[in-house]
Amino acid sequence: MAHVVSSLDQPSNYKDSQTRVDRQRQNDLLAKSTTLYIGNLSFYTTEEQIYELFTKCASPEDGGGIKRIIMGLDRNTRTPCGFCFVEYYTHAEALASMRYVSGTKLDERIIRCDLDLGYKEGRQFGRGKSGGQVRDEHRQDYDPGRGGWGAQAQRIEIERRKEVEERYADAQDGPGAVAGGGGDWKQEDNAAQADRKLKRGRSPEDEGEADTRLGQRAKIEEDIEAERM
Amino acid sequence: MNFSPSWLYTDEYEDRRRDYESPDDKLKTAIIKLGEVDPVEELPRLEQQIRDHVPRNIPVLSEAFRIGVTEQPYKIPFYAALLRLLHNTTELSIPGESSLGRVILEDFWKGFQAYLDKVEWRETRLCIHFFAHLTVAKLVSADSMFSLLRSFTAVLDEFGVSHGRAKRAALCAGEGLLIAGAALKADSPAISDEIIHAIQAYAETTTQQKWLVSPSTRISSQMIPSDGTVELLDILLSSLVTLNKSDFKDTGNCMPQPYKNSAEIDPTILTPYVLPAVLVPPEVIEFDSMSTDSGEESQVKKEEWPEFFIRLFPDDVSPDPKSPPGYVVRTALLDILDIFEVNRKECARLLLEYPKWNLSGTFKPKPGAPVETEPMPGKDWQLESTIIEIVLGSYLILPESSKKSIYYIALITELCKLSPSTVGPAVGKSIRKLYNSLSDGLDVEAARRFAEWFAVHMSNFGFSWVWKEWVPDLSLPVQHPRRAFMRRAIEFEIRLAYHDRILKTLPESMQTPDAYTIAEQAPGPAFEYDDPGNPHHDAALAVLNLFRGRAKAEDVISHLDSLKSTLEASEDGHVNVDSVIRSIVVQSLLHIGSRSFSHFLNAIERYLPLLRNLASGGTSSVGGNGNPEAKADVLTAAASFWKHNRQMVAIVFDKLMQYQIVDPTDVVGWTFLNGVAVGQLAELAGPMNLSAFEWDLLRGALDKANGRVTIARRKVAALRKEDDDARARYKARADETMEVDPEPKESTEETEVPAVPEKEVPQVENPAITTALKAFSSLTKEQKAALSRTLEGFVSCLAPSATDAHANPHARTVITEAAWENRANWGRDEWNAWETWGWYRQFCRAYSPYLRTYSTTLYMVSFSRFEHVKDPAADLLKLVWNIATGQET
Repeated sequence: MAHVVSSLDQPSNYKDSQTRVDRQRQNDLLAKSTTLYIGNLSFYTTEEQIYELFTKCASPEDGGGIKRIIMGLDRNTRTPCGFCFVEYYTHAEALASMRYVSGTKLDERIIRCDLDLGYKEGRQFGRGKSGGQVRDEHRQDYDPGRGGWGAQAQRIEIERRKEVEERYADAQDGPGAVAGGGGDWKQEDNAAQADRKLKRGRSPEDEGEADTRLGQRAKIEEDIEAERM
Repeated sequence: MNFSPSWLYTDEYEDRRRDYESPDDKLKTAIIKLGEVDPVEELPRLEQQIRDHVPRNIPVLSEAFRIGVTEQPYKIPFYAALLRLLHNTTELSIPGESSLGRVILEDFWKGFQAYLDKVEWRETRLCIHFFAHLTVAKLVSADSMFSLLRSFTAVLDEFGVSHGRAKRAALCAGEGLLIAGAALKADSPAISDEIIHAIQAYAETTTQQKWLVSPSTRISSQMIPSDGTVELLDILLSSLVTLNKSDFKDTGNCMPQPYKNSAEIDPTILTPYVLPAVLVPPEVIEFDSMSTDSGEESQVKKEEWPEFFIRLFPDDVSPDPKSPPGYVVRTALLDILDIFEVNRKECARLLLEYPKWNLSGTFKPKPGAPVETEPMPGKDWQLESTIIEIVLGSYLILPESSKKSIYYIALITELCKLSPSTVGPAVGKSIRKLYNSLSDGLDVEAARRFAEWFAVHMSNFGFSWVWKEWVPDLSLPVQHPRRAFMRRAIEFEIRLAYHDRILKTLPESMQTPDAYTIAEQAPGPAFEYDDPGNPHHDAALAVLNLFRGRAKAEDVISHLDSLKSTLEASEDGHVNVDSVIRSIVVQSLLHIGSRSFSHFLNAIERYLPLLRNLASGGTSSVGGNGNPEAKADVLTAAASFWKHNRQMVAIVFDKLMQYQIVDPTDVVGWTFLNGVAVGQLAELAGPMNLSAFEWDLLRGALDKANGRVTIARRKVAALRKEDDDARARYKARADETMEVDPEPKESTEETEVPAVPEKEVPQVENPAITTALKAFSSLTKEQKAALSRTLEGFVSCLAPSATDAHANPHARTVITEAAWENRANWGRDEWNAWETWGWYRQFCRAYSPYLRTYSTTLYMVSFSRFEHVKDPAADLLKLVWNIATGQET
């Protein structure tokens, strides 16, 4: 189908220009990525709302489903700051989200999906100067879903905010701050072994993409986002 | 901001390099883009451009035609016209040499042959459209075209042909006839009858399948109502029969034939191209090398059913799909829907541009646009209604649509965005029409999808629906399909938004609790032990505090041991202490994780060993699959904690399966026993039944079981391939070393097998394969168990034994015609029973590929007790089962 129209499931061009991972390796990772970066979320949108929409691209009969959702948080206030990662079990599901969900509304905002290299520790926090996303540093408009200009958000949004503000107060950083979501099915005796070790069950892929260089300096999505605006 | 990082230049450079077009590419693009303004006007210029292009590159030209034909089928008549022009001789032509058009056609054929060899049905069928037009243009010999179509009708006679294959072959032959009928029949009058009869004979064998997948059939009668839905092969046949009556003279009234503008070809001067004979490659039966223990192979194959489309508009608004022009419009739009799935925005645009590719006057002009052509008599349809009808029709195909539901939903959103003033009303009318059909027995799965579409659609358009018009229906029984729809749609809307947002979109009469339309409160958690009055309040608080303090799992376990002794002493055998403890632990853990999905995952992951211990019934040795009673308690506790939030129930169940705390079979068993009690609307509870919510839980469990088998199968296949490759490499290397002088051993990085001479290559399977096969076998057993438990659940619901206290008294009464005619007097239990029957049908047809694998065993388990018993309910259960599993009935 490449001849007549382009497919919507292509990763954006802007990707990861600032990581040290070379372009070829990035492309390889993206070509089997199961993770999406979701942008332009309302600060008040919950993980369950995100789950509800993105589960429509899941293929459980193919061994898929939503593995986990990682809410993007303001570094300082530990409150949602308008982005998240959705991780599926299969690549096809991530592509389906690009085709069918990116550019549609969630919580009455048009959200944007982009294939992502995969969640790495620390990426759940915003990278703007004030702790949120960089795009909200520069934004000139009034956006009630993203904190308005200041505290002028609509009343109903304030109600929602109360809940939201407390929700992630316990958010931690460092290894193991984010759940794995459950890995592949394992034979019972393996499970028993895991029991003895009292170790958290993680899927092998979590450690599999071991590209340590990616760690802290992964994509600076907010800067890129700011450029896109 | 004047910031251009240096990498940008590299990227730009790369992009430019990619974008550089050679003259050949430019010509190809020009051919593909034919008709951007006016296809007919552009033809001579494009012809000239092709002729002027040197050096001539036939493969590029024929590839451009192939792309045009297979990716833009709405342009096929114009490509036929272009090829017709390229058959003309010019002053530059060398006498006796083939025309340019003929050379392109010959090369085009090779591409067709490749599509056919790979059994790419859509491309094959669209090439046949092209050849059919060329037959009318006399560029292809009618005789050879007939032979081509015959190779496709031959498929219909294959023994045991699958419906998917037969349907596609029938479309190839039938649509070829539809386009080329006039030329074919003129050449040999019996042709059309032969093809029509072949398709008819096949279609007649599918009557029972039709009954099972028509969205408007009744449980009670095998008759399929003729109004409201149409079946794909049926509409093809009725169109062909109609055209055949007039010897296909009306074909020109159905589609453009621009090649007819060229002078008629004299076959004595230009011999038509004789299409080479072909054979449709045989059906690929991928025999699975992995068999289950019982020797049953588990191959999964989809699309085995007739395709029914719901009609939403009268014939003067959208074309009657049974008529030839209606069939042509429908096929064209369906092809766009299929091909442009990769880009829903472009798809929406192309759908709305479709009229330019059909005869003018087919559709009403856009409002406000100048009326340039007279409407064609009997046509003048409304484009947007036609499109919405076809998109929704594809979305509602049973047992499942060919693409993901969300594709159709998102596409309709795009259509609305492109042209809100014209698409919006068509959407509104469709919603009303579907809503009305709920009273007339719209299939339960179609109704569920309708609610899903409604909610997602509204979430993209400000949740602005005029609920007021449905207020009168609040007087219907609480489980009436219309009321079930309202409730479901609102619940789905809330999931995508939040309770207050949706509440305020409803009229007051729907907001009140006794309207049973929207939940009274926002869907929060319900921690049973929060209440200080609860006898186990203190015990639960202690457990909760351990969790809050992130106590180690083993510490919690030892605390629970002492709690157990305490409770056993104090309760004195009045309660099941194990059950109480399970409930306390699960609810407390969920309470810790109740803030969000991630919090839930974190809580569960931190205490996996504890949960496994709990699910195993407290026995320390983890063998087998845990303790069924303990696992049912875990599920009950979870469902009770999230009783106000059914989305979370489904999510928690899913992850409990993912983390292997419970198995799919446990969820299935639990759902049949308890599912009905989950939710805020107590009025809905009643005797055993299944609604869409319970169905979603079942589906989640079955898909999990099936998905695991799929993964395990892939894994074994991948390991085997790896193993084979390693052996092959190894053998090659061994051969090499024998021929060439022996080199020092390379590192065995690629293969784990140590280097040994060929005859000593180990024939035993490698341990990874053995493990994978073991996993596959376990998972297959679990799959079979889950399917069996589901079937058993349905059978005991719908043909309950006399001693079943929870049985729905109407399970047996709703299945007669008389009962259905009396549905105006049905109450809650009758509608419940009716819906449960609907989900049984969906279970059988949606999971038929899996059920077939185990049909003999499952039948024995669930149906043998009805042997020699006169029970219409059992007979109906068996009938549906037999149709779905392909048994003779």
